[in-house]
Amino acid sequence: MRSRLRTLVLLTGIAWPSAAAAQAVQNATLRRAQQAYDNLEFRQALSLAQASLRERLTGAERARAYEILGFGYGAMDSILKAVDAFKQMVLIDPERQLDPNKVSPKAYSAFDVALRQVLLVRQLRIDSTSFVGGTGAVPIRFAVTQPARVVTRAIGSQSSFLVDSGAWNGQVNLSWPARLPNGDPVPAGVYTVVVEARLGQNAFSASQPIRLGHGIVDTLPHLTSLPGYQELPETEIPPQSWRPMGLAFLYTGGALVGTVGLEGSGLGASSKRELGIVGAATLVTGLVMTLRKPAARPAAGNILYNRLLREQIARRNQEIGKENVQRGRQVQITVVPLPKPGAGSPR
Amino acid sequence: MRAAGLGLGLLALGAPLAAQRVTFGPQFALMDYREVSSGLRYSGTGGGAVAALTYRRFSLAAAAVRLSLDPTDGSTAGVGFTATQIDAWVGYDVASYASLEVGVIRRTADPELDAQSLGAVRVGARSSYPLGPGATVSFRANYLAAPKFSGGGHAAFSLDLGLGLDVQLFGHVRGLADYVFQRVNRRTDPGGQGEIDSPIQQSVARVGLGVGF
Repeated sequence: MRSRLRTLVLLTGIAWPSAAAAQAVQNATLRRAQQAYDNLEFRQALSLAQASLRERLTGAERARAYEILGFGYGAMDSILKAVDAFKQMVLIDPERQLDPNKVSPKAYSAFDVALRQVLLVRQLRIDSTSFVGGTGAVPIRFAVTQPARVVTRAIGSQSSFLVDSGAWNGQVNLSWPARLPNGDPVPAGVYTVVVEARLGQNAFSASQPIRLGHGIVDTLPHLTSLPGYQELPETEIPPQSWRPMGLAFLYTGGALVGTVGLEGSGLGASSKRELGIVGAATLVTGLVMTLRKPAARPAAGNILYNRLLREQIARRNQEIGKENVQRGRQVQITVVPLPKPGAGSPR
Repeated sequence: MRAAGLGLGLLALGAPLAAQRVTFGPQFALMDYREVSSGLRYSGTGGGAVAALTYRRFSLAAAAVRLSLDPTDGSTAGVGFTATQIDAWVGYDVASYASLEVGVIRRTADPELDAQSLGAVRVGARSSYPLGPGATVSFRANYLAAPKFSGGGHAAFSLDLGLGLDVQLFGHVRGLADYVFQRVNRRTDPGGQGEIDSPIQQSVARVGLGVGF
């Protein structure tokens, strides 16, 4: 009789999820409930599962207890109770998924109805990816179980970026270019992608930490000089000449000629002592200035050349700066999802 | 003239220091002075001071010397006298190396009648040229207009030639030297018998130190 009933159960497709079976159950009552379900003793399984819920259970055990209840009520054709049990299960473990190929259609439809009756953000996935800034995006996938206003943010240690804000239902695929408004890539670091769904008073959020890294940017160094062009000295020392001595002779000679020319014959020639003193001082000064190293004077041509050279270097550095900014924007961005610190939770 | 000089001075005081230069200092002076004939000649030394200010294209200069002149060997003069001469110029640069200038000259003798006192207006030009860094040589030619003499008379032709040297010795200290030769073709009519020539000729050398800013 027992083997016939087991065959019937298998035929109706009520099977225990393999993943659930693999998980260890510490609570004895819950273990007995699971065993009773395995033995197709559904009434006893339901009774024991309800009894276990009154005991101290971990989150996973509590979800398992509701799951036994859901499957049990499903097997007993108590669909509404099965839906309620599955609702409790997914509120505890939103990521819990049933394989429609391995569970009975009744149980799966009860589970599906339960999912549609609670607001959840499930299966948030961010795949590892690598792209050049400006040419790719970070793929963000998740599912919303009810039509809701969904806001997706990437929250870093320094700043927060809005990825998307819109009304979504079902499977959602978003792309985050990971760029600032000015086109620069967002800073490297650890970000938490938070998806928050809100429907009336109900809200649910899920998060996924990621590590966003930048590749090495091969920037161009700024120029301090142009190859083949060197600045020229802006002062030059004129060649030594006898010009100062010549000028001293010219001016002293002019004074002498003027003096001699103006001297009247009636008054006689002046002593020239006065002219001799000042003239000698002038000639000595002229000689000293002739022998002295000429002072440096501005070289107008070189100054103009240097100015043009500096302007050229500044213009080239400006272009290099723009090129480096462009290269910085085209940095290789690598995104790696990190382990979740905790599962999503209803709020 | 005084108003113009005062105006220039006020303008210079109100201007930025970089746009102006002030030089002043004491001077040692030598003079050779002749009057009427070659027999009446004097020579002597003295002291004085000079001050000059330049502001953009304008320049203002003044020099004063006081000398004790004694008759030279062979002079027919019996005693010497003390001469005090004051010169002033206001110049305007019309080119890089040339400027026009006007000024006054006032020379007095003490005792008053031992030599002619002279007052005249200067009108002329000056050429300055840098010999090298901090050294400038200049040549001046002034016509002495409307000369007045203590002993009367007039002069249709009066010229004043000068050679100047300004050298920066060290820091703000400058060496200043200038030579002035003056020829005044004075004519007088002492007894109403007709005009006779009573020319005046002097040469002065002034050498000294100055402080320039």
